Amino acid sequence: MPTETAEPLIREIDIEAAPETVFEFFIDPAKLTRWLAVEATLDPRPGGVCHQVHEGAGPEHRRFSMEGEFVEVDAPKRVVFTWGFSGPDAVVRPGGSTVEVTLSPIDTGTRVRLVHRGLPAAAVADHSGGWTMMLARLAEAVRGA
Amino acid sequence: MQAVLEAVVEPRRREILRLVRVGEASAGSIAAHFPDVSRPTVSQHLRVLRDAGLLHERREGTRRLYRTRFEGFTEARAFFEEFWDDRLAVLKVAAETEQRRKDADRDR
Repeated sequence: MPTETAEPLIREIDIEAAPETVFEFFIDPAKLTRWLAVEATLDPRPGGVCHQVHEGAGPEHRRFSMEGEFVEVDAPKRVVFTWGFSGPDAVVRPGGSTVEVTLSPIDTGTRVRLVHRGLPAAAVADHSGGWTMMLARLAEAVRGA
Repeated sequence: MQAVLEAVVEPRRREILRLVRVGEASAGSIAAHFPDVSRPTVSQHLRVLRDAGLLHERREGTRRLYRTRFEGFTEARAFFEEFWDDRLAVLKVAAETEQRRKDADRDR
């Protein structure tokens, strides 16, 4: 399958909170739903489920199911989970990409480094069309959010 | 970026991109793949894809030939950057609020 893989996407942000506090927002469903998803089922240990429901901001409030799995959980320093969407028309393989989060203590609190790996550069190279579907779903999920 | 997303939301347009990802095809042969879709509708799909930068179009005599323009998808990266920037900004506010609440509890 002639799928190109892009360079990993890297984002960083400094947060004025302790790493322990920030870490909870990745593994506690009540906290994850305050910033990333509307529902979450999380079993934060390697191989445990990382299921997030994202809601579209459109009038239909369509819901998109992110079926991930925890790969690494090292509180309060590092958490890694797979990222992909499922659904009747979704052909992107859950597990197709990986989100790695590293928390480092800094004077003012915590530096969060997020690395999203395995995002294919050329969607249509994928036979399944999964990448474009995933984009379409994400677009719906974050529109107006 | 919005044009790319709007373009790929329609299943037939995704199918067109798959048809011409390895080689060029004429508008006529693309239309032949969709017997249930009118020719003007197929032309409209081709226009949307071309305008979004996802299809390369060239003329050969009276024919128009299309192939997938992979560069068009590099913008997808910007979409993800924006997605995570937006989410992380919300995380920052939520975590800082949480920290202040914890600190207040501890000082009580």
